[in-house]
Amino acid sequence: MKAIVDCNSFYCSCERVFRPELMRHPVVVLSNNDGCIISRTDEAKQLGVHMTGPYFLAKKLIEENNVAVFSSNYNLYGDMSRRVMDILKESAGERNVEVYSVDEAFLTIDNLSSQNLKIFAEGMRDKVQQWTGVQVSVGMARTKTLAKLANRIAKKNKTVSQCVSILDTDEMLIPALKQTPVGDLWGVGARYADKLNSLGLCTAWDLRNISEEWARIHLGGVVGVRLVKELRGEEAIMMKDELDTKKMIATTRMFGHTVTELKDLKEAVASYAGRAAEKLRRQKSAVNIISVFLVSHEKVDGPKFKHGPTVSAYNILHQPTALTPDLIKPAMILTEQLFEQGKKYKKAGVILSGLVPDSSIQGNLFSNERNSGRFLMDMVDNINFSMRDDVVKFAASGTKRDWKMRRDFQSPRYTTRWDELYRVS
Amino acid sequence: MEDHYSTAYRGTRDFTQQNVHTANATGFGAAADDYAERGIDLNEQLIRNKPATFFLRVNGSAMIGAGIFNGDVVIVDRSLSAVNGKVIIAVLNGEMLIRRYEEQQKKVRLVPATKHLAAIDIDPSAEFFVWGVVTYVIHQP
Repeated sequence: MKAIVDCNSFYCSCERVFRPELMRHPVVVLSNNDGCIISRTDEAKQLGVHMTGPYFLAKKLIEENNVAVFSSNYNLYGDMSRRVMDILKESAGERNVEVYSVDEAFLTIDNLSSQNLKIFAEGMRDKVQQWTGVQVSVGMARTKTLAKLANRIAKKNKTVSQCVSILDTDEMLIPALKQTPVGDLWGVGARYADKLNSLGLCTAWDLRNISEEWARIHLGGVVGVRLVKELRGEEAIMMKDELDTKKMIATTRMFGHTVTELKDLKEAVASYAGRAAEKLRRQKSAVNIISVFLVSHEKVDGPKFKHGPTVSAYNILHQPTALTPDLIKPAMILTEQLFEQGKKYKKAGVILSGLVPDSSIQGNLFSNERNSGRFLMDMVDNINFSMRDDVVKFAASGTKRDWKMRRDFQSPRYTTRWDELYRVS
Repeated sequence: MEDHYSTAYRGTRDFTQQNVHTANATGFGAAADDYAERGIDLNEQLIRNKPATFFLRVNGSAMIGAGIFNGDVVIVDRSLSAVNGKVIIAVLNGEMLIRRYEEQQKKVRLVPATKHLAAIDIDPSAEFFVWGVVTYVIHQP
């Protein structure tokens, strides 16, 4: 049996652990730069707050209804996520847990009777709630796709389901398939759903009853066959499918306020280049193409604002590299090339492409710097990683970052900072 | 035989004989080599269940009589049950409080350790739950 355990309104849930007075209160969490709503509680949903909508559009609704607003506190969420995953591993066995995202995990549960499956699911739900304060929903069925379907049903009406839905018998499964539109299935996007609907396949039940051959021909080959198989209870999506290493690494950010000075722009780009380089080294790759892009601010027209034109330029390096200084240098040159006096910049980014594995960096017989450079970078990375803050920065990145993201509603990092602990009276 | 995944702190458990520094001493090996142990690890001693353990800071003197002072840090375990006499973090009507939990014949009270505050009787209809149980207090004298 496969189970998917996922946290209800995860980011909001984390905030609520330390704000118990918000248990039944509408809450939202905002994305980087307080731009969009990336998490909302059921109460906020009922008020009409849209997911992924921009914050400024929902501001009036939020203020009128006294919705609690938080800027994203990734340190907290990451830490809480680790706790939840640890508990799942303790319950189901480490090798039976596949962490799928920050708030979801697939589990493999074998050798339990139908009755015990329910007890197990409820036990896990209660344990996570008790030990961390985070509320989860559990969906269980024979395949991942069906487990996801079950989970959706559990979430739809939490009072009835108590956040658990187990579809292990046809008696439970068939009505569930009949009431699930194809668009709600895992892996089926809006366009694919439209295609399926046009072929007369509207519910998961319709889809499950077509032949594999038909699916192969009409539903996009292997993708369609996999979906149909999974709906029939045959596993077609294996656990821990290998993740492709990235082919491109980008670090892009919107600025907290417009930037007009070249030196501030260069500082920002240098820090993004540093971040991108860190990600590069983490996956043991090197690059030889670096590109920088800048987005300027267009004239504001009433309540709307527009992204201005994006300008970009790239540089092909002589040798693939993963060293931060080797990437900052060309990034600075590119920034200078692109900068125009008088423009107000809103966003910038660094994109590294042409990734090659680290080991393919050819030794340059005539240069001694390579080896010590890499050793130094590894040390810098380790220090930064363990200190959780960019303690060691390169001079070009500046020491005072005025252009940093807006985070007006940030809660303390209760579980990762000794000096930000919750104060209880 | 599958290893049970434990949520206890592992910490310095990965100490091996390779970590004994004097084992490769270029002069004389120490007689102590055979008895070398990893050092005392506070995490291991004080954190029984890592995912359920949180640190909170004490504000005020509600529990001063219990040796819990303003500014102290308390280690709180959410996986433990409240038992009569334990110091707990309680949530009452949305407010988090540090008090001693007392339960006598199904009646629950939250008792401070100072004469400046009154004990609170928990009405069964009140919005009350136990956030966690205080296991240790870290105090800087």
